[in-house]
Amino acid sequence: MTVAIWLGSAVPVRTIRWLDGALAAAAKLGPTKPTAIVAGDLGWLELAADRALRAKVACIGIATELSLDYLGWAQIVIAAAKTVEATTILVDEASRPERFAEVAAIAELLDAAQLTNVVSIAREGEVVRATRSAGGELQTFHVRGEAVIGLRIAGPKIEEYPTPMPSAAMKRLDLAALGLDANVLAHRAVAPHAPREPQRTTDRVADLISVHVSARAPRTGAA
Amino acid sequence: MGSILVHIDLDGPRPDPSSLAALAVARALASSWGATLYAALIIHEPGERSAPDSTAQVMTGARIPGIDRLEDELSRAGADKIVVAVTDTPVLPLWGAIGGAWQTVLDHLRPRLVLFGADAPSAIELGPRTGARIGGRVFMRARATGGDLVQLRDREGAFLRVGDSGAAVVLVGGRAPARPARDEDIDVVVLVAPSGADPRLELASSAPAEPAHALGAVVALGEDAAADPAVVADAARLAELVGGPVLRSTGGRADKHAASSAQLFIGIGETKVEPSGSSSVIRIGGGPARYVDGALAEPIAPALAELLRALEARS
Repeated sequence: MTVAIWLGSAVPVRTIRWLDGALAAAAKLGPTKPTAIVAGDLGWLELAADRALRAKVACIGIATELSLDYLGWAQIVIAAAKTVEATTILVDEASRPERFAEVAAIAELLDAAQLTNVVSIAREGEVVRATRSAGGELQTFHVRGEAVIGLRIAGPKIEEYPTPMPSAAMKRLDLAALGLDANVLAHRAVAPHAPREPQRTTDRVADLISVHVSARAPRTGAA
Repeated sequence: MGSILVHIDLDGPRPDPSSLAALAVARALASSWGATLYAALIIHEPGERSAPDSTAQVMTGARIPGIDRLEDELSRAGADKIVVAVTDTPVLPLWGAIGGAWQTVLDHLRPRLVLFGADAPSAIELGPRTGARIGGRVFMRARATGGDLVQLRDREGAFLRVGDSGAAVVLVGGRAPARPARDEDIDVVVLVAPSGADPRLELASSAPAEPAHALGAVVALGEDAAADPAVVADAARLAELVGGPVLRSTGGRADKHAASSAQLFIGIGETKVEPSGSSSVIRIGGGPARYVDGALAEPIAPALAELLRALEARS
C-alpha cells in the first residue's frame, strides 16, 4: 500500500489544524512514507511542505496560478499520485468547503473506491480500517485496493505557527513534468471566490441559515 | 431543455423529506424551463436477476411491492415520470453500494441537471460523484430564486440559469415550499440494475455517533449563554429547525480541544468548540468574531429570538 494525501490548492479557510490532523493520519498509515500533494501559489506550497515535514510526510509541490474546479484539480492530483504509484489517496476535506467534491472527482477518474466523511483511519496489514460519520452513525469499513478517502480529522489546537521557510525537502513539479497541458486544464477554470464580509443583520443571517433548515423540522405556521 | 432528474432517498417506505424538497424545487425549474422532471429511486430486491457484466434491463409493466404509494406521493410532489432502479445489493447511502444502480439511471436518462436533497442520506456520497461522472458543475446548498424564470443560487453565490451550457448537479438546501399538490397518473419505468456493490468496501460495524461528530448542523452554547433559560429554550428550537444537536460547553479540558466540521456551526455566547472545519459559521454574541459568515451582536436573548422569528417566517 502506497499512500498519498491531497492537501488542496489553497490555504485552509480558518485554521491549519485539519491539515495537521490529516497529515498525522497519513503518517500513521505507512508502511512506506506517505507523500503529500499540494498545488497553488508559492506561499501555500511552503506552508503545506512545512507542515508535511513536521508530520514526517514527503511533499510534492506543484506551483500554478490556475484556479480550477474539482475536476480540474483531480486531474493534477492523479498525475502527481502516479509519480509515487499511490494506491490509497487521502484528501483533507475539512480545510476548505470545495474540497469534498474533489474526493468524488479523483475516485471517479481513477475508478477507485470512494469513502467520504472519515473521522478515523488505521491500517491492518493491507486493509485500511476507516470510520466515517453518516447521519447519526459511525460506520467502520474495511477498505481494500485502490481507494480515495476524504478525511475530517482535527489535529491539536494551534494558536499560531512559525512562518514557513522555503523547504528543500519539497519536490517541485510543474504541470508539464506531470504530462499535463495548462491550456487543456484551463477548460476547467473557475473564477476564484472573492472574500466576503460577514453578514451582520438578522435578515441576512437568516438567509444564510435558511438553506440549512431541516426538511424534517416541524412548521410553526408562522406567516 | 433536456431532462431534470431528482434522486429520491427513501426513509422507510416513504420519500426522504429533503429529497421531496429537492423535487419541489425541481418542479419549479422544470415548469419554468420547459423540461421533463424525473424522480428516480433505488430499491433493493433480494434475488432479483442480474449479473455483474449485464447492462440494465427495462421491465415494462413490472410492479414493485409498495410502489403504488410512492408513485402517488412523488406524482403529487411534482414528478412527471418515475424511474425505479432495482438492485440485488442492499441499499446503503454510499457510492460503493448503490453507485452501480445509480449509474444505470444516469445512463438511461442522460440528464442535464441532477438534484439531490442536501440533507438526504445519499447526497454527500452520490452528488459530487454524479457531477464528476457527467462532467457537470456542482452547486452546494442551493435554493430557487426568481419569479417566472426560476434560477438556482448556492451558498457561495454561484447561479445556475436556464441558458447555462453544460450539465450540473445541485444539492438543494432547506425545506419544500408549500405548493398545491397535483393528482395525475404518471409513467413508472423499472430498470433492473447490474449487480455490484464495490467489493473493495466492506461494512464491518456501525455504532451511534457522538453529537460532536455531527456533520450537518450544530448549535453550540457557551457557559455564559446557558445561564439564561430563554436562550437555552431558543437554542433548542434553533437546533430543531436546523436538525442538529445542541453542544453545551462544560468548561472541561476536552472543550478546549473540541473542533467541529459540521456544515453549519451556530455558536451562541462564549463557546469553546472551534468551528474551524465548518463551511458556514454564525456567531451570536460572544465577543469579536473572526472568520465567520454571519454575526449578531449582543445582547444574546433578543438577537436569538429575532433570528428565530425571521427563520420561521421563511419556512
